[in-house]
Amino acid sequence: MKRKLSNEQVTKPDGNLSGQTIPPKKKKKRNKDLHSFSGFSNVVMNMILGIFALLCIFPFIYVIIISLSDKETLAREGFRLIPETWSFEAYEYLWQMKDQMFQSYFITITVTVIGTIISVLMISFYAYAISRKQFKYRKFFTFFALFTMLFNGGLVPFYIVATQFLQLRDSIWALILPLLINAFYIIIMRTFFQRTIPEPLLESARIDGASELRIFFQIVMPLSLPGIATIALFSTLGYWNDWFNALLFIDDPNLIPLQSLLMKIENNLEFIRQNALSGGQQEGILSDIPQDAAKMAMVVISTLPIAIAYPFFQKYFVRGLTIGGVKE
Amino acid sequence: MGNKLILLLVLMLSLSAILMGCSSNAADNEDSDPYEIKWYMIGTPQKDLDQVMEEVNEYTKEKINATIDLTMLDWGDYDQRMQVIVASGEPFDISFTSSWANNYVLNARKGAFVELDDMLDEYGKDLKDAIDPAFLEGAKVGGHLYAVPTNKEVGQQSVLVFNERLADKYNMDLSVVNSLEDVEPFLKTIKENEPNFNPIATFFPPDMPFDYIIDDKHPFAIPLDSNDHKIINPYETQEMLDKLKTMHDYYEKGYIRADAATSTDPNPLEVENWFMRKEFYQPYAELQWSRSAGYDVVVRPESDPVTLNGSVTGSMQAISITSKNPEKSLEFLNLLNTDPKLRTLLDMGIKDVHYEEMEDGKIKDLPARIESFNMPSFAIGNQFILPLYEDEPEDKWDAFKEFNEKSTPAPTLGFHFDPSPVRTELAAISNVTNEFAKPLLTGSVDPEEYLPKANQKFEEAGLEKVLNEMQKQYDEWREDQQS
Repeated sequence: MKRKLSNEQVTKPDGNLSGQTIPPKKKKKRNKDLHSFSGFSNVVMNMILGIFALLCIFPFIYVIIISLSDKETLAREGFRLIPETWSFEAYEYLWQMKDQMFQSYFITITVTVIGTIISVLMISFYAYAISRKQFKYRKFFTFFALFTMLFNGGLVPFYIVATQFLQLRDSIWALILPLLINAFYIIIMRTFFQRTIPEPLLESARIDGASELRIFFQIVMPLSLPGIATIALFSTLGYWNDWFNALLFIDDPNLIPLQSLLMKIENNLEFIRQNALSGGQQEGILSDIPQDAAKMAMVVISTLPIAIAYPFFQKYFVRGLTIGGVKE
Repeated sequence: MGNKLILLLVLMLSLSAILMGCSSNAADNEDSDPYEIKWYMIGTPQKDLDQVMEEVNEYTKEKINATIDLTMLDWGDYDQRMQVIVASGEPFDISFTSSWANNYVLNARKGAFVELDDMLDEYGKDLKDAIDPAFLEGAKVGGHLYAVPTNKEVGQQSVLVFNERLADKYNMDLSVVNSLEDVEPFLKTIKENEPNFNPIATFFPPDMPFDYIIDDKHPFAIPLDSNDHKIINPYETQEMLDKLKTMHDYYEKGYIRADAATSTDPNPLEVENWFMRKEFYQPYAELQWSRSAGYDVVVRPESDPVTLNGSVTGSMQAISITSKNPEKSLEFLNLLNTDPKLRTLLDMGIKDVHYEEMEDGKIKDLPARIESFNMPSFAIGNQFILPLYEDEPEDKWDAFKEFNEKSTPAPTLGFHFDPSPVRTELAAISNVTNEFAKPLLTGSVDPEEYLPKANQKFEEAGLEKVLNEMQKQYDEWREDQQS
């Protein structure tokens, strides 16, 4: 897709320049762009990429189809590409539990928005500081961040810190704080700052009397938008998809995020598969668990917003990644 | 730089030590204040829990001067959450424990639960009388009791369940069915005439007369009818070969679904697409199954009830070693298992809100119970003191008692294998088990070909060594029992 687009952009001006007498079609053929493929391999490449794209999107389409299948048909025939009977039953089921759904939506969005903002700020503060040569302890703090990438205390100490020191249990901060800082993003941002913000620029700002804060917010931030957008997207995805912190710290149904709700259903189903319980024991469990279609409907509902948000980040995304990814 | 790092580490450590110290000695209760019991239960959190707990607390405050802080953790999350909670040493009083979630034996061995032997005589006398001794004896680990078992069916009995509608339609006389082999002609009829029904529901390991040491897939068991107390590999027995041949025959004929070995379909009863399935029985389970299915089912026993380690420890409440007041916690468990009012309140909710009492003392669920207070009855405590539902027979709990008396103890009841000396071998054997057990037990592969293959792999993985270790521990345990 990308390749094809750029081809057109490159060849178009050529065609226009001399296109008054000779039809552009012929001219195009002769005037080959150095970077383009031959017609044949272009077709093959496009087909390969097309098939790949199809493979990527197919599971999502399949999920949508399953979510629209009839429950009984699903149980009888299994998953089909085109089910015998279509039905909106699964979405009606979700509508019945709309209180919980909307509450979870609200929690997920709140956590994602607040979390991403704070996270991006903290990461860029840290990364900016260790990217500047004037900062005396930058080596130590770089190591300090890197250290956490290699070693960590493990689950139990993490749980003890969060519940007994910070008292985060059943609090929305339990969903935000653990994901705030990520050493890997710090490294990306640090490299990004080093490569894109030339020292003389900051020098001149200083000469003009700008304070460090002003330099950061008015000069560095706008210049590093691609990098910031990249880690913002990463954090958004991280927050949106996080279910583990909720599993550990949240008991209050009003604080359960969407992905955790989905995970709970999945876990419960898995649990029933693993444990053959006797007659009396099953009763209480099964009545609480939705069928496959409802599960898929939930996947659709929880993925759509983030899938829609993605294109808005995308234009920065590629630039930010390539620039930030190169290490000096 | 090295020095600075060390300094920082020391600083952080000392800071955390100070904080730790602060948090632990904050709560020193006076005698007159009611003690708050922190209780973790398995089950989906229910909407009306707070409302019910208010009533519960009023009652317990008056009876034993304690209040209950009940936290429900969802079925699938419970095991993982409790592992973290126990490992972190977080203070709590009571937690649900069993053979299948928040593993009882492991936790008891680790010392996570308070030993109850002597305390029971002082604070749990009524409870001791109320609960079937088979539970109290069977649930001992290393000779000590670490949790209060729930009074319910003590044994495990596997039954074949049939869809009555189909059986009636083809005039089947199901009373001739006593084993898997007897069903063949009926399965044939269904296969030929009912294309929309699976003759056999997906998950179907056959019932075998073995007392399994680890679980019903691993190759360690004692035959139930033997007297020589020898642990063997069940996959090497003639019984297993015969049974699996039958299964494979059914598979070939299409009675068992082609994807049986890989299917993850939980087979809900509500979906009427099956003719026969295997379940574990408790008295009058057919009524319950019919109720949740929405159509009638018929039950035929496949074997006699056996009291197994797994069935005895199927549902229990343990007191945590981190509890600040284990005595009070046991007092509460005592009340819960002997006081019908408290037990009913926790299980069925508030009278006239969640359930309705009929003239003859039987009860009926109101819609609020199903929607917002659907508690897992079997997990809470003594079931024999619960009121009956309107469609339940008068003798329900008597039938349970009879069932429990009829149940024969398995040879390894009370014996818990300690896997630590043979951990490596056991892990290798587990891998082989995961590879072979499901295809074999669902009849998907030919046992004549694959049983020898599986057995050879078990040998290579160190089966001999594990069997010997098990036998050694088992013999030692038996000697202890006799002395």
